[in-house]
Amino acid sequence: MFFIDDLLLRSLGISLPGLDMIWTLEQIHKFALKGYYNPDKIKNQIKETRLLYEFGELNRQEYEQRNSELMHKLDMAQKVMEMDIGSKMDILG
Amino acid sequence: MVRRILNAEKKTPESLGKYVYCVIPYLKERESFGNLGFNAEEVYTLDYRDLAPVVSDVAYRDYAVDEQEVEVHRKVVEQVMKEHSVIPVAYGMAFKSKKLLQIAMSAGYQAMQKAEQVVDCKVELGIKVFLPKDQENMSSTTRGEISSNFLQCLKAVSADFKNLKLFSDRLVMNSAFLVDKKSIDNFSDQVGLLKEKYNSLMVQYSGPWPAYNFVDIHILGGKRRGFR
Repeated sequence: MFFIDDLLLRSLGISLPGLDMIWTLEQIHKFALKGYYNPDKIKNQIKETRLLYEFGELNRQEYEQRNSELMHKLDMAQKVMEMDIGSKMDILG
Repeated sequence: MVRRILNAEKKTPESLGKYVYCVIPYLKERESFGNLGFNAEEVYTLDYRDLAPVVSDVAYRDYAVDEQEVEVHRKVVEQVMKEHSVIPVAYGMAFKSKKLLQIAMSAGYQAMQKAEQVVDCKVELGIKVFLPKDQENMSSTTRGEISSNFLQCLKAVSADFKNLKLFSDRLVMNSAFLVDKKSIDNFSDQVGLLKEKYNSLMVQYSGPWPAYNFVDIHILGGKRRGFR
């Protein structure tokens, strides 16, 4: 069986419309994941939420709900980072 | 038979895990701070040369960030701080046994001795200046002016300061100040004056805390595995 890597084709200057589309979609997906599951950004949001609660802009219920959502998101983000979703795995060696 | 197995599994205090809350100067004898620890366990001192880690016995596990557990850690340190100068230890520092804790103490001994001098009779006070919603579009020049005015006034009544991360677009200033215990009232007066001057802004004055931002000792690898 013969596998052609899209990166190899790209380095040779060969462009296949189908593969190009997949590659573009992969990049968008990867970029979106990185933006949405950015642990530092989520940690900042957790701190900001706490501060808003301490200054009285959020009530206890709003704070607890928002905090719990962010903690869940942080947990997911850390798992995403550990799994390194979006990077390709070369299973053929 | 069952009892014999249970007895065999019962751990001695020596072999139990130890959770470290902070480190204080060595006391002549073991001091107890009451049953304030995790699972209402006793918080007490161990001794390592001229330092005394403040610990409680725990079943060793990983300490994920949990608001209630962080609160337990904070309350213990707050209690210890009433009587001693403390070298703060990051939340989540647990050791499988007393022996492993002693190894960590040995590795960080010199750094801790230096830290002891930094925190001696001092506390950390925090200042956050936050913009109300209707002022969140304030220009960066005005933000800078407010921040430097706060810093200038508060530096004069503190031993040291650290600018911390501005984690929100509405934060104008986030700083920690190392203040001599005797100067706390003086510092608070200055904060009061600044609050009056900038009464349209939201100012959070917090503390006294252990000097978390002025002691940074990493003994073991990993994010939650080290004194800081």
